[in-house]
Amino acid sequence: MPTTEKISDLVFRETMTRAVQDVVKTMLNQNAAFHSEIGATENSDKAIEISGQHVVGTVGFIGDINGLIYLYLASEFASLTAAQLLGMTKRELEEAGDEVVNDAIGELTNMTVGAFKNQLCDRGFACKLTIPSILRGSNFSIQPISSATRRVYRFDIGQHRIVADLLMKIEE
Amino acid sequence: MRYKILTVDDSKTVRIIVKKAFKTYDCDIIEASNGVEGLATAAKETPDVILLDVTMPVMDGVEMLTKLKSDPALKGIPVIMLTAEGGRDNVIKIAKIGVRDYVVKPFREEVLVEKVGRIIDLKPLSESPTKVKSILDNATILVVEDKPAIVLQIQEGLKRTPWTIQGVNTTGEAIDFCNRTQPDLVIISLTLPDEAAFTLFRFIRTNVKTKYTPIFGLVVKTELQAQQQAQQVGFTSIVTKPMDIPELEAKISKAMNLDTSQRYFSIEKEIFLVRLPEVTTQMVVNEVSTYLKPKMSEAVDGGLSKVVIDLHELKRLDMIVIKLMFQTMQLCRELALQFALVGNAQLASECKAFEDTKAWQFFDSIDEAKHSLAKPSVSSSLSQPVAAGV
Repeated sequence: MPTTEKISDLVFRETMTRAVQDVVKTMLNQNAAFHSEIGATENSDKAIEISGQHVVGTVGFIGDINGLIYLYLASEFASLTAAQLLGMTKRELEEAGDEVVNDAIGELTNMTVGAFKNQLCDRGFACKLTIPSILRGSNFSIQPISSATRRVYRFDIGQHRIVADLLMKIEE
Repeated sequence: MRYKILTVDDSKTVRIIVKKAFKTYDCDIIEASNGVEGLATAAKETPDVILLDVTMPVMDGVEMLTKLKSDPALKGIPVIMLTAEGGRDNVIKIAKIGVRDYVVKPFREEVLVEKVGRIIDLKPLSESPTKVKSILDNATILVVEDKPAIVLQIQEGLKRTPWTIQGVNTTGEAIDFCNRTQPDLVIISLTLPDEAAFTLFRFIRTNVKTKYTPIFGLVVKTELQAQQQAQQVGFTSIVTKPMDIPELEAKISKAMNLDTSQRYFSIEKEIFLVRLPEVTTQMVVNEVSTYLKPKMSEAVDGGLSKVVIDLHELKRLDMIVIKLMFQTMQLCRELALQFALVGNAQLASECKAFEDTKAWQFFDSIDEAKHSLAKPSVSSSLSQPVAAGV
């Protein structure tokens, strides 16, 4: 079985970039431009850079490689994204409520993590997806446990920012 | 019977996207949010296709697929996996259980529709099922022809119609166009290089959105082999060069199943108007004959009792027109309708040459004809047609 240490930071970045760009282009017909990253060895305390109310989707992958990805979107952008994904107007979405936005962001995260981990599967790291979950709120931070590595990737979609937070369990 | 598509996905978002993708097609979308619900719904509804996710709570897609394939009553239902689980090994493992196709998320709605369209005969839903498209409605006609003069000739010839004639040079441009816009009819030059016309024909016929779009082949009259080949593969009609524009227009109307009656029949101030065009070919006569009785009956039913038959545009009188006029006048008599003819000097003179038509008298304008019909009593000294229905 190959070990994840053999995967370079560059490969992780490219894999994540392809996944985000593919999902954003296919499902939202928009372009996601890679902005910046915080590598595994850097201080990631203030890496997220999304202030105010935000919506965070999470999906894990388990198997030969284990980890999870958080996708951060500002609340307003999450609503816009959901409206576009579902072909709904802003008003229809408001009437439908937060649950619909949560589900849409959950699915967007599922697709992104799927696109990410499928590339790793094809490199020999067989793994499966977990069911998505959603966090909503402001002024909160997610800290990895000490036995995990963290890489943060920031993307710009027009005027908006999307942040992918990749946490991976260090192999024993 | 409408086709049923069952979407099994724990994400409401995906189920909404699936519904959105198929909303313009004649099919019902049934939903289930996990494998257990999916199996129960499949047994109850017997869908024509199942779109199945893998990662779901309660029962995942792999387990549902395994159970489905082991149930004699359900195993024949085609399954398309629609999932973010797309690693090579996963796909192979799932495919071995027995799936018809595999779509990895993220996905384009068109791709999903196309894959489902390979399994069931998806038909586009007309915007309004009861409304018949008429000759006065907009339509888009795509002309695939590498000779700009021919495209121009068609555009010029059909400029009186409300149709948009879009010309492209190559099959690549045609495919791009069809992916962007659904044409109402396609005309393809059969002499495009490398038998490209037939390749394009196959593309249009295999695309769910355009598989029912009428396709005409365009070729020089003497190119019999190409015409025969086009007919064999299933081109809707062949148009030969040099083009007869009125004939082309009639063929297009017929292929698009347009209601052309408005071209010949109208109602103006309580008068039912029948109008023949300048060039009244056998095709035009056939069209008018088809609509004549229902349109006149409709007019009588609506309370009309007067008819003006307008022939003033007609350049010459021939037997097919004379026969049509006799048919029209006979119908007027049967329905007890008063009628009057509008013509021109040439026509009036030609009528004098025939025994059967020499008594026909024409008014110079529709207004004059209307005025004569509006008189409270019509004397027998008036023209035979006007008096005929009284």
